Amino acid sequence: MKKLTVFLTFALLLIAEAYAQSPRTVTGKVTDDKGTPLSGVTISAVGMNKNALSENNGSFSIQVSEKVKTLKLTYVGFDSKDVSITGVSTVTVSLSPEDKALNEVVVVGYGTQKKRDITGSIASVKGEALANKPTQSFEQALGGRAAGVQVVIPSGVLNAPPVLRIRGANSISLSSYPLIVVDGVPVFTGDGSSTNAAGNVLSSINPNDIESVDVAKDAAATAIYGSRAANGVLFITTKKGKPGRSKVTLDSWIGFSNPQRLQQVLDAQQYTDYKNEALRNAGTFNPATNAFATTVGPDGKIINTNWADIVYRQGLQHSNTISLSGANESTNYYFSAGYTEQEGIINRNDFKRLTLLMNVDHKAGKFFSMGGKIQYTSDQNTAATSSGSLGDAFASAGLGRVALITAPNVGPFLADGSYNQSGGLIGVMGNKLGQVGFFNPQIAMDLNRSNSYGEHLISNLYAQFKPVNWLAVRTQYGLDYLMVDNDIFSHPLSGEGFSTTGSVSAIFNKNKRWVWTTTAQFDKVFAQDHTVSLLAGIEHQKSDQNSYGLNRVTVADPAFTNIQGGWVTPNTSGLGIGENYLYSEFARAQYNYKRKYFLTANVRRDGASQLGVNSKYGIFWGVSASWDVLSEKFIQNIKLDKVFSSLRLRSSYGKVGNIGGLGNFASLSTFGSGLYGSGGTVAYSQAGNPNLTWETSKKTDVGLNFGLFNDRLTAEIGYYNSNNDGLLLFVPQPPSAGLPSNIPTNIGSMYNRGFEFDIKYNVVQNKDFSWSTSFNLSTNDNRVLSLAPGITNIIGSTGGLENPSITMPGNPIGMLFVTRTAGVDPASGRRIFVNGQGRQVLFQHVAPAGQSRFMYADGTVAPTVSSADAIVYKNTHAKIFGGFENNLRFKNFELNALFTYQMGNWLYYGTQAGLRDQRFWNNEVGVLNRWQKAGDVTEFPRPVFGDNVSNGSSFPLDINVFKGDFIKLRTLTFGYNFPKNMLDKIKISNARFYVSGNNLLILTAYPGPDPEVSSNGNGTTNFGIDRNTVANQRTITVGINVGF
Amino acid sequence: MKKNLLYILMAAGLVQMTSCAKENFVNPVPTNVISDLTAFDSRDRVEGQVRAIYASIKNAGMYGGRYQIFNDIRGEDFMNERTNVVTGFDVWNYTPSNSSTNSVQNHWSRAYYVINLTNVFLEGMAAKGTAVVGTPLSNNFQAEARLLRALSYYSLLQLYARPFWDGNGSKPGVPMRLKGNTGSDDYAKARATVAEVYTQIIADLDFAETNLPASYSSAFNNTIRAHRNTAIALKTRVYLSMGRFANVITEANKIVSATAPYTAASGVAHALQSDITNVFKTPYTTTESILSMPFASNETPGTQNQLGFYYGPAAFNGGNGEYSLLPTGIIANTGWKTTDRRRTMIGVFGGKSYLTKYSVASIFTDFAPVIRYAEVLLSLAEARVRSTNTVDAQAIALLNAVRGRSDASTVFTAADFANSAALADAIVTERRIELLGEGIRGTDITRLGLPLPAKPGVGEIKADAQQYIWPISSTELLLNPLCKDN
Repeated sequence: MKKLTVFLTFALLLIAEAYAQSPRTVTGKVTDDKGTPLSGVTISAVGMNKNALSENNGSFSIQVSEKVKTLKLTYVGFDSKDVSITGVSTVTVSLSPEDKALNEVVVVGYGTQKKRDITGSIASVKGEALANKPTQSFEQALGGRAAGVQVVIPSGVLNAPPVLRIRGANSISLSSYPLIVVDGVPVFTGDGSSTNAAGNVLSSINPNDIESVDVAKDAAATAIYGSRAANGVLFITTKKGKPGRSKVTLDSWIGFSNPQRLQQVLDAQQYTDYKNEALRNAGTFNPATNAFATTVGPDGKIINTNWADIVYRQGLQHSNTISLSGANESTNYYFSAGYTEQEGIINRNDFKRLTLLMNVDHKAGKFFSMGGKIQYTSDQNTAATSSGSLGDAFASAGLGRVALITAPNVGPFLADGSYNQSGGLIGVMGNKLGQVGFFNPQIAMDLNRSNSYGEHLISNLYAQFKPVNWLAVRTQYGLDYLMVDNDIFSHPLSGEGFSTTGSVSAIFNKNKRWVWTTTAQFDKVFAQDHTVSLLAGIEHQKSDQNSYGLNRVTVADPAFTNIQGGWVTPNTSGLGIGENYLYSEFARAQYNYKRKYFLTANVRRDGASQLGVNSKYGIFWGVSASWDVLSEKFIQNIKLDKVFSSLRLRSSYGKVGNIGGLGNFASLSTFGSGLYGSGGTVAYSQAGNPNLTWETSKKTDVGLNFGLFNDRLTAEIGYYNSNNDGLLLFVPQPPSAGLPSNIPTNIGSMYNRGFEFDIKYNVVQNKDFSWSTSFNLSTNDNRVLSLAPGITNIIGSTGGLENPSITMPGNPIGMLFVTRTAGVDPASGRRIFVNGQGRQVLFQHVAPAGQSRFMYADGTVAPTVSSADAIVYKNTHAKIFGGFENNLRFKNFELNALFTYQMGNWLYYGTQAGLRDQRFWNNEVGVLNRWQKAGDVTEFPRPVFGDNVSNGSSFPLDINVFKGDFIKLRTLTFGYNFPKNMLDKIKISNARFYVSGNNLLILTAYPGPDPEVSSNGNGTTNFGIDRNTVANQRTITVGINVGF
Repeated sequence: MKKNLLYILMAAGLVQMTSCAKENFVNPVPTNVISDLTAFDSRDRVEGQVRAIYASIKNAGMYGGRYQIFNDIRGEDFMNERTNVVTGFDVWNYTPSNSSTNSVQNHWSRAYYVINLTNVFLEGMAAKGTAVVGTPLSNNFQAEARLLRALSYYSLLQLYARPFWDGNGSKPGVPMRLKGNTGSDDYAKARATVAEVYTQIIADLDFAETNLPASYSSAFNNTIRAHRNTAIALKTRVYLSMGRFANVITEANKIVSATAPYTAASGVAHALQSDITNVFKTPYTTTESILSMPFASNETPGTQNQLGFYYGPAAFNGGNGEYSLLPTGIIANTGWKTTDRRRTMIGVFGGKSYLTKYSVASIFTDFAPVIRYAEVLLSLAEARVRSTNTVDAQAIALLNAVRGRSDASTVFTAADFANSAALADAIVTERRIELLGEGIRGTDITRLGLPLPAKPGVGEIKADAQQYIWPISSTELLLNPLCKDN
């Protein structure tokens, strides 16, 4: 019925067309303002339905009726022009290019808007800044590009979703990740992989296909996305064809990546001697049964293995994108194909991606246009085994950890060439000890796999009907289908597969979403001065998730390595089914008076299926205003317009929501199923909340934009304040209450406040030399105001084994929570702890007769010191961050350097606790400076074998907390543009060659490899943790960009 | 103007046509879980809930393996080989911290999850379930649930509270929860005394004894589901921990005949098997196993929880050999003859001795024993000795029943024991031999007030020391201000 109505409406309007009689012919020529002929310009007769196109030499010819007085010439990228033909039959017309700055548009959600008309806070990043980088996804390259946008690459594992925050962390339990809208369709985000290979869903978008990323930050800019807007919105616009003749581009690069700043650990002899000393100190050294010993290898030398050499490698990476694009008055198109292969710095960690994109828009007649896109991506995220960096900090197989702690006096292979392994663990060789490492990483790297293969389709189709120039009705159907095939195999020889005699899993994960959006847009100028624009729309978004798989263990024959092979046990794996739905009604009103005063109001009503039955629907809104100060008479009177070339004030306020990351059925109380003695079980497994609702964020934003020297220098200064209420807390109850799950309750509150400062300056701009520089700085002050009554804090866990984080009212979210120490007692070499009462307690792992392990300095027995004595210690979120970029061009040479920086945050370097652990683990070289005799002053306690308390393995200590301040030379690119005259001969329109380095330099006092990591990924309450994380790679690439 | 109005109306109409939320999309019903509103609507669901309580107490953190392991490695018979906190290194060397998620926190929350499941179940039965399944069946099910609650509370007392002998139960026990918790509430609650918790345990087990079926139709169910004799057997264990020897005797006598061969006269006919190794073999359902936790290839113990994985070395069953048998431990006992059948459940690999009682190779699906008839016999024997302070003849006979079954060449007589204390010691030693790796030694040490023994690299912990029992979960201390640490 609906379809029929639409159809009839179109039909009726088309019939209304009329034709005129008595033709005459007008000829002419059209050029640009420099006299170059323009082809493809549309020449239309005003008052009749007649069009012509200009030829290659700019000439045109059109038959018009007598009553036509005017021709209208339009051409994309140029201002259109009306030409009178009264009494003439030949005309020459020159068109002027559009003023780019004046007409620059940004995406605002369900439409675009001229940049200078924007009343909200939106930062734009051009696609060029993100393209041709040795990254897997575009957001990895966003860091430092825009004020208020913070990006942390969590580890050196390829394709891990970056920590992406707009104006701080806005949620405690839900996602703080912004909403990502690609060409009008909100898409899936996060890690789509269920394996040890990360699979950031957004890597499906080839960064080279991106035209722009517009970052909506305040309530005015985001309110049109209502219940999903609290974390900001990123509008991704993919490339469209540009007017002119069709263009072919080729972008290729190739490069190498390497690990950097790896920790220095003991070599075989140092390790052997040091650990034996620790055994002696523990009183358990026995050369025959309990001792470390080196082993002579086949080459007659002592086996001395640097496990980092085995785990890490130099990775080869390359990427190629070819595109074809073009546009004329009625159609524009962009086709591209991309293929990239990237080897990570961890052996066997690879990323491969094939992308195909087609963007087409077509204007069919006067009223009707339609278009759409199809983006298909096939990607492969592969790894051998756990890296220990994706939330599995303590994985026995974690390669980042294994490289550090495995004994250096054993090797990966025995003398006969077979793997050095014993019962799943690495073999001890000559050591007289039960264990000197976890798994032998060589086996996993040779035989195991943990791969995820994605097929991703992002597509949309729209139709727009514009019966009159002030009204447009548009309907768009978008879809996002993500299919991920996970393939995990652990060989029975490997530690991962040993205890199960091999294990193989296959898990298929289907995610399907459709989004149907219908909008009506009304634009009109009243009485010349009053510009009004109205938008109203309806949107449905439905997502379905369905996953299933098998986990088979105990291989029937070692030859079988896939799920189809012979295995003893077939069990299910990765079962999941869920759906969610969002129904929305929204509207926007914009008004400006003489382009002097601008007002915008947005409102959206959302109904979300995930919410409690009593609270599914909510209304969100934002209002904003801006003022073009210089257009004011009285300002001109005081000659302010002589100082500033532009000056605008803006301000906004609104209320938006957050439901990101909320479980599909989080509001329900449910009983799950399982087995007991082969009989089905019905277990109370989830405690729900029928009043569960969205989190609310009330955002205030004030900004000042100004330009100097004819806008050669532009700057933006802003202040934001986001008060977040009703934060969802999975309110922990005392474990003794026995609840099956923590009940989601909208109860917490928190604020984010800060300043943003952004300046761009074209210092020099002339023919041979140009220099432009930009600098941005953002501050963020985050404070948790309240949690639930009776809940004094939320403990954040790392890898499920360690609790170094705490969130408490009055503090920023995710503070470090550690027990204090006071050095090492010079007299006895014991670690000195400071207990909850502030008293110093000395610890010895093995207490001699008559002494206690924990003692006060006076020799009396002290109560055990533990994490119960921990204090709220340091902030983990950067207080200041930003970027500094310089672009220099001299003739055909160009140089681009982007620095990013952050300061004011601290990290828990838990890796160091492991590097100083006194079990069999290998230690950092610093322990050579350990306490040995009375009077030694050192930070390394007397080593006692088995001691996992003194250095922070047992519970987190302040000695492992460090400042995270850094300045990084994120990218440095040196390019050369081949001269035009040379290229013209070979029919190439432009060609550029470049050498680029990523992460070339890190200036930091942080002792770990990289302060810009996050063991817990996007987690907010357990942020700022570096526990066995693989550091970011350093990459050097060479590349070319060619246009035909 | 009219035309404009028409356009606007038309546009508005077009947009409006796409409006209207899809009701079944807005309120989706999950398809893989059951709503709390209908959880008591059928017999299958009610019984499914009972099984769920078993499944929960069987869980990784509890009687499926770890609880037994924790108690054994607190003793002097095992050597930690892996220094891995995840597999109990801290428990072994007496340093588990409040925040240890592997032991202190996990066991605490898991035990209370079981307790709350029981409480929710009991309330649901009162409100609806009993009407659905009928009173007799309802009583059976409630009895099973209460027995599991008792077992949970008992495990908590053994690890987190001072033994009963210390102040006769007057020391802090654990918070006592008897109400079903399903929503947000103020859950602050102080610890009840040890005696109060024991009283509740006994009340639950008494109720269970009265209301449980005498037996089930299959040996399998007789092993994995509680029946009347299960409740009685557990009471012998509980009373022994309290030092109430008269009660131990009363309860044990209900299921132990006066003379050998000892057997339960009513209900499931529990008896010692002629070959102990049969108890630990498929199908694990001999009448000696009073309660065991079942495992199967589709019902696995999970990683780093399996008894076989902890005690079996790689060369034996592909286990991780987390704990070998200390050469100075019970295997050094000269009275335990090399010909003793129970010695066949010890193997030497790489020069070290390992317990091979749990022999199923990966994925280690040996049933986890909770209580076995041999324990009841030895508990009765010990209770008789300690209550009479004599070299009790029946105690010797019971001891001989357990010893003789595996070692016919050793027959104890009264002459072997200088006094009652010597006999009691012999019985306790027999428990170490017979129940090695079944989670008994740790509780025997604490109920007897013995020091936690010194082991290589670990000093002895006196019975009055703070480390003698575990600290309280730090999460509990943070969230329940009324609960105080040990």
